[in-house]
Amino acid sequence: MTELKRILHVEDDPSIQAVAKVALEAVGGFQVLSCASGQEALDQVQGFAPDFILLDVMMPGMDGPKTLELIGQLVDTARIPVAFMTAKVQPDEVAHYHSLGAHGVIIKPFDPMQLAAQVRQIWNQRNG
Amino acid sequence: MDKHEGSAIPQALQQHLQQLGQQFSERLSQELPQLAQQARQLLGADEAERTRLLQELRHQLHRLAGSAGTFGFSQLGQQARELEQHAERWMERLLRQQQSLNEFVTALQALGEQPTSAGAITEPVGKARKLPRQEDGSRTIYILEGEAAVGENMRQTLSNFGYRAEHFNSTAGLDAALQQHLPDALIIDAKLPGEASCGLDYAHQLRERLDEPLPLLVLTDQQDDFATQLHAVRAGAMGLFSKPVDIPQLESRLERCFSQQHGEPYRVLIADDDQDLASRYSLVLRDAGMLVEILSEPARIFTHLRDFNPEVVLLDVNMPHCTGPELAQIIRCNDDWLRIPIIYLSAETDIGKQMNALIKAGDDFVTKPISDNALVATVFSRAQRARLLSDALARDSLTGLLKHADIKEQVAIELERALRSGDRASVVMLDIDHFKRVNDEHGHAAGDNVIRALANLLRQRLRRVDSLGRYGGEEFLAVLPDCTPEQARLIVDEIRQRFAELRFIADGGEFSVSLSAGIAGTDVNSDAEQLRERADKALYAAKHSGRNQVQIAASEEHRG
Repeated sequence: MTELKRILHVEDDPSIQAVAKVALEAVGGFQVLSCASGQEALDQVQGFAPDFILLDVMMPGMDGPKTLELIGQLVDTARIPVAFMTAKVQPDEVAHYHSLGAHGVIIKPFDPMQLAAQVRQIWNQRNG
Repeated sequence: MDKHEGSAIPQALQQHLQQLGQQFSERLSQELPQLAQQARQLLGADEAERTRLLQELRHQLHRLAGSAGTFGFSQLGQQARELEQHAERWMERLLRQQQSLNEFVTALQALGEQPTSAGAITEPVGKARKLPRQEDGSRTIYILEGEAAVGENMRQTLSNFGYRAEHFNSTAGLDAALQQHLPDALIIDAKLPGEASCGLDYAHQLRERLDEPLPLLVLTDQQDDFATQLHAVRAGAMGLFSKPVDIPQLESRLERCFSQQHGEPYRVLIADDDQDLASRYSLVLRDAGMLVEILSEPARIFTHLRDFNPEVVLLDVNMPHCTGPELAQIIRCNDDWLRIPIIYLSAETDIGKQMNALIKAGDDFVTKPISDNALVATVFSRAQRARLLSDALARDSLTGLLKHADIKEQVAIELERALRSGDRASVVMLDIDHFKRVNDEHGHAAGDNVIRALANLLRQRLRRVDSLGRYGGEEFLAVLPDCTPEQARLIVDEIRQRFAELRFIADGGEFSVSLSAGIAGTDVNSDAEQLRERADKALYAAKHSGRNQVQIAASEEHRG
């Protein structure tokens, strides 16, 4: 089983981007590449070769689901777990995200101290 | 690796997080007043602006709801979440209001179009209980006529025209038949001797029993009676014929009912500089089964009109470079396009300005935003009217066939189609022999009868894909797609024999008439006009060789 090390984080809000990076690197000990847009993620995903992708749902321009769809054309998302981050979660929505190919949903606002654990949990479900 | 999780937070990390929290708080101090400012704008905004502002606010509140809690502003995040939901409810309400207003408008518009088209707008033409269409494309007609002789005669004549007609003497008989199958159209006599209810009342009840109305033609003793006309229209009649019935006329009305039902989709041209809006309208109209083209370059208007031949033009009023009314005036400068209705689409609600645009050119004004249903209803009714009119203009009043210019155009269209598909088509020129003699000896009324009889015979014997027109006084032109000259000769020769067998009655005496025909096929390279000329030459050869015969044009080589 591969080790969870590299996380690609796609988020347009700079505040959230910064705090998630800190939370995942300092707390989780992961290596994080932050992208501010879906397009940036598409440009970076192959070079960075992430073990895990964290996608904000609501982004201007290319939103999370669309980004996931396009990323899927570049890398094998069946082997790389993907989680959506969203502020709006209804039960049917989670099912919808899973149907799009996501392996987990992380609810906003998140606790910076718990984020790494949440990511690891999704990873373990996937690879455990 | 997860050594920090759940344990005490290292000081460096805590400082880092605090610093990020500080930055977020600074951002809030800028963003929150902006939000308040946007909220204030809502109060003075018009409907479209309000929708836009609400959407933006909702988006920002959504972001805030997602982020504030992460930086310790849990309460703010909670409030933002509640406000976001509030904004959502507001937007829904606005949309509902708009929708309900649009539905009201649509309902009112539909009121003005009852009863001929209202059903057609909302109801797709169903097939559920209808007999499957015959292989040869024939349609079933049920006739309810108390007078046995009249009903039988009509049944016989309609059968000759290629319909499967059935005659019923009583409502009970018709009811039993309707239990089995629904016909494609109904013909009902307004008066039914010996029945409890009159034919129109029966038709009215029937209409309510059926899921969707059937095309209905009504026979009456007195067509001029307004009460009967009103009664018939209320029962859903699409045609009213006084006895004795001119059956060819009734038949052409039937054809019109069917072409309205199953005709080609209406063609709509949209000119709007807002590409998104144009695409949206186009989508809505296509969804309703129409063909749509978008004109993005006003200078190309005539190319689009020629190539696409739209039945309705939708124009945005405010376009850069060339306004809607200007473009409408350009279209109206050309007589060829007089029959096309022009509808303005605009956010302009000022009646004065609307009037101004309409006075210059154009036929109708539709105010944006318009609901999908209202747009479809507006365009549909205009397109329907335009098609009926242009059909009426294109058809010869004596025979109901296409007129000279229109059948020539049809020959060109079929020739082009044949060239594209690689199929062969044939063009036929027909002429009644010694027609002048008929007029001189039996009078013009008898002559008209002969022409009408030949028109009906041709229509009856030719296929539905064939086009047929009255080319001149006693000359007919037909184009038969996917048909070689040899095949055409068999068909036309049979018509020639049947025509020669017809007995006409005038001044108490009988007479008969013959015809001659010439055929040319697309197997020789030629344009539409050359093709017609070759058929014409063959016709003259037939006349020259003693009339009452059919000849095929000599091929290119032999003509030298």
